[in-house]
Amino acid sequence: MLHKDEQSRRRAFESIVQANSEQLYWHIRQMVLNHDDANDILQNTFIKAWTNIDSFQANSKISTWLYRIAINETLTFINKQRNITSIDIDDPDIGVGDRLESDPYFDGNETERQLQEAIATLPEKQRMVFNMKYFEEMKYEEISDILGTSVGALKASFHLAVKKIEEFFNKID
Amino acid sequence: MKKEDNILSKCGNRMPFTVPEGYFDNLTENIMAALPEQTVQKKQPRIITPWKRVMPYIYAAAAFIGVLFFVRVASYETTDMDHSLAQEEDVYYSDEYIDSFFETAMIDDYTLYYSFIDFN
Repeated sequence: MLHKDEQSRRRAFESIVQANSEQLYWHIRQMVLNHDDANDILQNTFIKAWTNIDSFQANSKISTWLYRIAINETLTFINKQRNITSIDIDDPDIGVGDRLESDPYFDGNETERQLQEAIATLPEKQRMVFNMKYFEEMKYEEISDILGTSVGALKASFHLAVKKIEEFFNKID
Repeated sequence: MKKEDNILSKCGNRMPFTVPEGYFDNLTENIMAALPEQTVQKKQPRIITPWKRVMPYIYAAAAFIGVLFFVRVASYETTDMDHSLAQEEDVYYSDEYIDSFFETAMIDDYTLYYSFIDFN
């Protein structure tokens, strides 16, 4: 950052938050489903970005850099959750469908809930690619920049995800 | 028709989630409030002492003297060797000298023969 004092750094960072927070929120929310979790991860993402702003390489877009941090934070959160769930025998793993049904901030219909259930069965990376392409309508080139994966591999990943989701629906139909 | 079109026609691609009322209105403010204090590191002015200023010249001079010393030693050894080689090459004994040496050396042919073998 070119700004020398704390005040001007904060002002500059505020405009970055303003421009990117909503899009990042939806990306995180799509992965973790729960609003409070998404909000916490988003906060952590910006705290990480703020404390490491000097390491930001100006040759990439700030939004790409923020996406990478958000993805890392999200994956860390998911792994932590998985560990907690696997060691807590008093709290059996509740299915995604049940969780969404009781979530006041889920307003989808039955099919949309089933789609979320189907997406939850995908491996994390595949889920991420599917969400970015299907819901966020991002181009493969953009996703490639963020995830550091080739466009070809992303296309393969997306098609595999679509196939699995179709199979999921075929089973329940 | 792409495969994902089946899912799209069945489910659409709307994100079926909502947020608490006014969440996005205060989001930036909330995020900014949660940021820790950031200590901006001010660059200390570089102090250049007279010693620091002349140090590079001293290093350069030392290196130059070192090179000179090396060249001097190397050339001295080479010259020395050249002299000894030259001396060896310059040794010349005339046939008359050799004949007179053997005549007065009081050695027989047998001893002379073996002295040649030893030399070789």
